[in-house]
Amino acid sequence: MNNTVELKNLHIKAGNTSLVYKTSLIVKEGEIFGLVGESGSGKTLTAKAIINLLPQGLTYTADEIITVGKNMLTASNEEKRDHIGKNVGYIPQNTVFYLHPLIKIKNQIGDGYIQHTHKTKQEALEKAEMLLSKVGFKSPKTILNYYPWQLSGGMRQRCNIAMALMNDPKLIIADEPTTALDTTVQKQVMELFKAINEEMKLSILLISHDLGLVKRYSHSLGVMYAGQIVEAGSASTVFDEPKHPYTQLLIKIIPSLNIKKNEPLTEIPGFVQDKDRDSQGCLFYNRCPKAMDICRVKVREHMKEDHYYRCNLE
Amino acid sequence: MKKNISLILGIILVFIILGIWVLSFVRMPYNPNEMNISNRFLGPGLDRDHVLGTDNFGRDILSRIMYGSRNVLLVALVSVTLGSLVGIFLGALAAILKGPVEKIIMRIMDGLMAFPGILLAMMLVAVLERGIKGSIAAISIFMVPVFSRLVYSMILDTENLLYIKAAKSYGSSKKQIFFKHYIPAMLPRLITQFSSSMGSAVMIETSLSFLGLGIQPPYASWGLMLSESRQFFLNYPYLAVAPGIAIIITILGFNLIGDGLNDILINRGSNHE
Amino acid sequence: MLSYVLDRLKSSLVVLFVVSIITFFVLMIIPGNPAQLILGTDATPEAIAELSSAMGLDKPLYQRYLSWLLDLLKLDMGKSYVYGESVTSLIARSIPVTFSIAIFAMTMAVIIAFLFGMLSAIKKNSIIDYFSRSIMQLGTAIPSFWIGMVLIVYFGVKLKILPVSGFVPIERGFAPFIKSIFLPSLVLAIGEVGTLLRIVRSSMLDSLKQDYMDMARVKGLGWGKIYIKYALRGALTAPLTIIGMQLAKLAGGTTVVETIFALPGLGRLVLTAVEHRDIVLLQGLVMFITSTVVFVTLIVDILVMLFNPRIKSFHQGE
Repeated sequence: MNNTVELKNLHIKAGNTSLVYKTSLIVKEGEIFGLVGESGSGKTLTAKAIINLLPQGLTYTADEIITVGKNMLTASNEEKRDHIGKNVGYIPQNTVFYLHPLIKIKNQIGDGYIQHTHKTKQEALEKAEMLLSKVGFKSPKTILNYYPWQLSGGMRQRCNIAMALMNDPKLIIADEPTTALDTTVQKQVMELFKAINEEMKLSILLISHDLGLVKRYSHSLGVMYAGQIVEAGSASTVFDEPKHPYTQLLIKIIPSLNIKKNEPLTEIPGFVQDKDRDSQGCLFYNRCPKAMDICRVKVREHMKEDHYYRCNLE
Repeated sequence: MKKNISLILGIILVFIILGIWVLSFVRMPYNPNEMNISNRFLGPGLDRDHVLGTDNFGRDILSRIMYGSRNVLLVALVSVTLGSLVGIFLGALAAILKGPVEKIIMRIMDGLMAFPGILLAMMLVAVLERGIKGSIAAISIFMVPVFSRLVYSMILDTENLLYIKAAKSYGSSKKQIFFKHYIPAMLPRLITQFSSSMGSAVMIETSLSFLGLGIQPPYASWGLMLSESRQFFLNYPYLAVAPGIAIIITILGFNLIGDGLNDILINRGSNHE
Repeated sequence: MLSYVLDRLKSSLVVLFVVSIITFFVLMIIPGNPAQLILGTDATPEAIAELSSAMGLDKPLYQRYLSWLLDLLKLDMGKSYVYGESVTSLIARSIPVTFSIAIFAMTMAVIIAFLFGMLSAIKKNSIIDYFSRSIMQLGTAIPSFWIGMVLIVYFGVKLKILPVSGFVPIERGFAPFIKSIFLPSLVLAIGEVGTLLRIVRSSMLDSLKQDYMDMARVKGLGWGKIYIKYALRGALTAPLTIIGMQLAKLAGGTTVVETIFALPGLGRLVLTAVEHRDIVLLQGLVMFITSTVVFVTLIVDILVMLFNPRIKSFHQGE
């Protein structure tokens, strides 16, 4: 089986402050990979590094970034932009402003398709209609004539999904795709992802703070804490035998889990640190119930088959 | 804090002009109004008696520039001060009293703003006498709507802030609230606006003088010097150089200070734009 | 939509009404008797009294204001005593001159401001950005009469490629017409470009920060699409409003330039009226110019609204 994304030792910095440190992940072809973590844990930045979308002012290094078969470290900027546009669909978390407010849906949904396939606008609109009905719109033609602000949050999200699918991508990155949607719509959108994943055999990198959602929908997952992936593996392994105390705590509190955006997790006392993320010790040290003195200066990385975790405990 | 180049450059330029202005009271190389026909059109040069040359009447240009700085700065400073005081008063009155007072004041300000560029100043000069007093009155009135609208909108914005509501509920009088809360909240913008308005005031004063509607000959004023040089400057272009540069330095200086203050006082941090 | 237009129309008319009061009463306090001014110093008191009553000067102020306003609505603005001609026809004759240079100037300013404003926002802190920011500062600091004099010497006297005074109507050929308005328009454009460039740059910077830019990039669009279709489209509202204000301002604020280049436009009329205290002419000019300002602003506001569908829907009460 091939891998859709291979990321090794990603290190993102803003000036001298490390935001993401020593993060590696692999998204296999055809799987839904869930990336979980609290707000500020670096999930979105990691995803943005994969698709060459880091904001200006941030720098990054990595041993390897391969996105849908292209080495992103050696490709030129133009190549990267073209490759990502052709092969990756991006569904950002806040869809109000990701769609241009002054441009009608029909004028922004297909421009990437026209750019990469050199098809006519007519053909692009036909495809857009097809995809819009696929994501559940009864009358796609009318939707095309709307401005984004004339649609509800759920409708905009579905438009975004349709737009992300225009080029038959190999990978979809969905960043908190259900935030700000009510629970029924949330379920519809997630079922849609599941269907797309099964039908089109494309990989999905699902970023979420909701471990329950990730448990329900993903095949593999990575748990991020303070800019690092602390545990990763197949969903069954991680949920059945969590090794890292942070993962264990998260799983224990799933039923009552209610991580809100931009709020610390109150169930675990303490705060996510945002300084010294490039320390060699364990970053969970100050909140960990099982912390030992050694954790402050050193942490062991384990790799058992597909199960990865970084902790001094066995 | 990052160095604010605009502010530093602006302060340097304004200091140059202020230096010239102060020197004009201490000592000028020649009497700015003394004519000497045998010395007319002497070109400029650092080693010459007349460093910036002489004009069509043989008057020393450097002395006239120095003397002219008095008029320009006096008119700008007095008119912006007067205009801002009246403007702040009217704007505050409208915002605090509300009701018909608010309507009448703000409609008059809208009306005054409908006069483009120097048209209002010109119309007022037609009624008033030409000269320093006329210019001051015209430019002051020009400044009134600028400041009153600014203060008006700032008060309405500030009103929604919590601490004003809190002060009201503690039973402070309107006057107390105004001086304790509104003025400190508005000061940064007012200072910034004052500095930029100094720039516009200099522009209007020199334009009026250039058109012959400001300070009258034989007194020296930069705009007037440029206007007098029009007949001769095709042959003696240096006549237009010194007054032009003096005007540009002054306006640029005040504008840059305004921009710099804006960055520091208002857009704290996000100032590189 | 319609209610918005009606609303704006109503407030425009209120502004014009206020302007008419300001204009009429400010010019009433002019020292000296207008009849005396017209007839000269050696006129007999009887003649002056006769003309005064013919001009309605002996009536109470509010009556004079009302009859002036009524005449104004009938486009009868009275007779200029300097020119001995009706103010309406004087204005009509000057419009082409002033409007030509105003429109041409704004065209130049818009091209330069958008070109450099966009480049400077995209390449922030580059050489082109510093250059644009210098234009921004210098453009607003250089007096038009000075730059006008410099251009006359350079283009008109040294290079001898452009006329430095006078106006050639468009009927006498397009090239001579453009040549005759090129330098004055350039001077006006230099005066306006700084402000506009600043607005274009800051709106563009703001637009570039928006989330839709991420989307445009991730879709792999070309630079033209990214920067024009997405970034510029999101950055147009503020510049359009400013362009409207500047165009309105130029319609009446060209006195200095018309004086330097000896152009027979509205600005020159204003100067003559002020110099000779020709109140009737000045009243007419001020009312005409402010009405132009108010209506250009109104039209631009409506255009901006049509352009920005969110404002439109807001006023539809959606």
